[in-house]
Amino acid sequence: MVAKLEDSSTAAAKIDARRLFNTALLYLTVAVVSLIIVFPVYWMMISTFQPSKYILRFPPPLLPQELYFAQFAELFSEHPIAKWLRNSFLIAVMTMLLCMALSVLGAFALSNLRWPGRNLFGLFLLVTQMLPEVLILIPLYILYRRLNMLNSIPSLALIDAAFILPICIWILKGVFDNVPPEVLDASVVDGCTELGALWRIVLPLSAPGLAAVAVVAFFFAWNEYLYAGIMLSSGEFMPASVGLSTLKAIAQTPVEQYMAAGLVFSVLPVLFYLVMQKYIVSGLTAGAVKG
Amino acid sequence: MSERVDADALAGPPSGVKAHPLLRRRYLLPFALVLPIILYEGLLIVYPIVQGIFGSFTRIELASSAATTWVGWDNYERMFSDPAFWKVIRVTLLFTGLVIVVALTVGLLTALLFNRPFRFRPFARGMLMMPWAIPEVPVVMIFIWILSPQFGVVNILARMLPGVTKNPQWLQVPELAMGWMVLISSWKAFPFYSLVILAALQAIPQELYESARVDGANRLQLFWNITFPGIGSTLELLVVLAAIFSFKQFTIIFLMTGGGPSGTTETIVIRIFNTAFRFYDYSYATALGVAGFVVSLAVALVFIMMQVRRAEDSA
Repeated sequence: MVAKLEDSSTAAAKIDARRLFNTALLYLTVAVVSLIIVFPVYWMMISTFQPSKYILRFPPPLLPQELYFAQFAELFSEHPIAKWLRNSFLIAVMTMLLCMALSVLGAFALSNLRWPGRNLFGLFLLVTQMLPEVLILIPLYILYRRLNMLNSIPSLALIDAAFILPICIWILKGVFDNVPPEVLDASVVDGCTELGALWRIVLPLSAPGLAAVAVVAFFFAWNEYLYAGIMLSSGEFMPASVGLSTLKAIAQTPVEQYMAAGLVFSVLPVLFYLVMQKYIVSGLTAGAVKG
Repeated sequence: MSERVDADALAGPPSGVKAHPLLRRRYLLPFALVLPIILYEGLLIVYPIVQGIFGSFTRIELASSAATTWVGWDNYERMFSDPAFWKVIRVTLLFTGLVIVVALTVGLLTALLFNRPFRFRPFARGMLMMPWAIPEVPVVMIFIWILSPQFGVVNILARMLPGVTKNPQWLQVPELAMGWMVLISSWKAFPFYSLVILAALQAIPQELYESARVDGANRLQLFWNITFPGIGSTLELLVVLAAIFSFKQFTIIFLMTGGGPSGTTETIVIRIFNTAFRFYDYSYATALGVAGFVVSLAVALVFIMMQVRRAEDSA
């Protein structure tokens, strides 16, 4: 439905007026819809960047009254948020490295090689990706307890990587599918092994896809709450997703600090997700819909 | 899906050694590549599922080191005769169904809107993606603050309604709490659906619209006869995906209501968590987990069958 009205040589003023009205309506709708969608984010900003004396009244003013930046320093000095972020970062990096290594192997087998069982492998990955995480929380918790693997950052990264790996493989498969087969054939004829072709030809051509996998794996672990809360119950290893959920607005934490914490935690994922959205969408729909 | 390199064809000139074809190195390569993945996923996903199914027939005592005892179908008999279980099922169906409807409707409408050309469209689309990119925990923080009965900004809107003279306890009233869980989950989820629908819309050939317009079709006819069939299969797929994603929703509900007030937002994933980690009833929680597993496996199979059909259609 493209609003491209036919240009007619008998363009009467009536048509012009109608077009103007339609355009105005379109912009108005876009503005209203965008406002509704973005309002909660706007409200987070407003509540972060002004002193809470303005916002702790009803009705609160809808526009900022005064800019204020000391809340970030207060947040970091009054809460162990630096430690939380460091823990989140460590979990995320480990998950990312593990996922990148394994998804390259899986995607190459799924995309560039033909073998019996290939479709079955793809389905296996699809199913593991679709199960609610909480379903295997209890058996996994019992297993980790018996193996003494609770309260350890690498143990949590192992779980996070297991959950996000199937999506990473699907993302990378979509990227590997774009490598021209002739290039690959030629390299094999030239005496390259398949793994050599993967290393020298497929990977260099798939740099954006690898970046997408890194982003998806990193931020899955960064955002993850359920397993982090159960497996890392000791405060020392608490990641930011769990730490933030312990903050109580107004009662214990001033609102501007509370919202600043949410903002600090969201900046990285928002930036990277927006850049990589195309790849992430194709992975989440298992390549059924090209985003 | 095009085959890139045929492992068999690449096996190279036959060497002098008469090895069984299955044992040829190149033939083994794909299996060697996926073996670590299968072992890894097997250990951390499949093995716990099997353990869970086994555990649901036992009595698990974590605190004492007493051996687990076999109790047969006890946990399941308890589950099916438990009115609370059927309430959880009703709540889960209601929540999942409402999120599918709300998130997909909003996703479709925004996709149709953002498919039209206008200035700043890339910027507007970037904004559209915001809720999807923000992690769930900050989303919860934002909405806890917006819904605060004391200072929450949403009360300004509520006060405009006739008969509302004081700020509602948004998360204490069952209907309101469920409504907000659906709205917040949909707000978080719809940009993804919108993006997928946008891609499908852009794949519809423009010539179809042009020739239909020449034939004098109006906008509604264009939508029903061209747009809707063009994105129909994508919408079907998204209904199943939305069912899977909303069935999995844990963090938002758990952190905002914990399943309350009095269980009215307690979906099965919340119930499983509460049973295990609030009441320490691991065996019963495992049985609930198996019930959830059966449901999600069924939905996942529908998705896979749709995928297979699509692959056949395009082949």
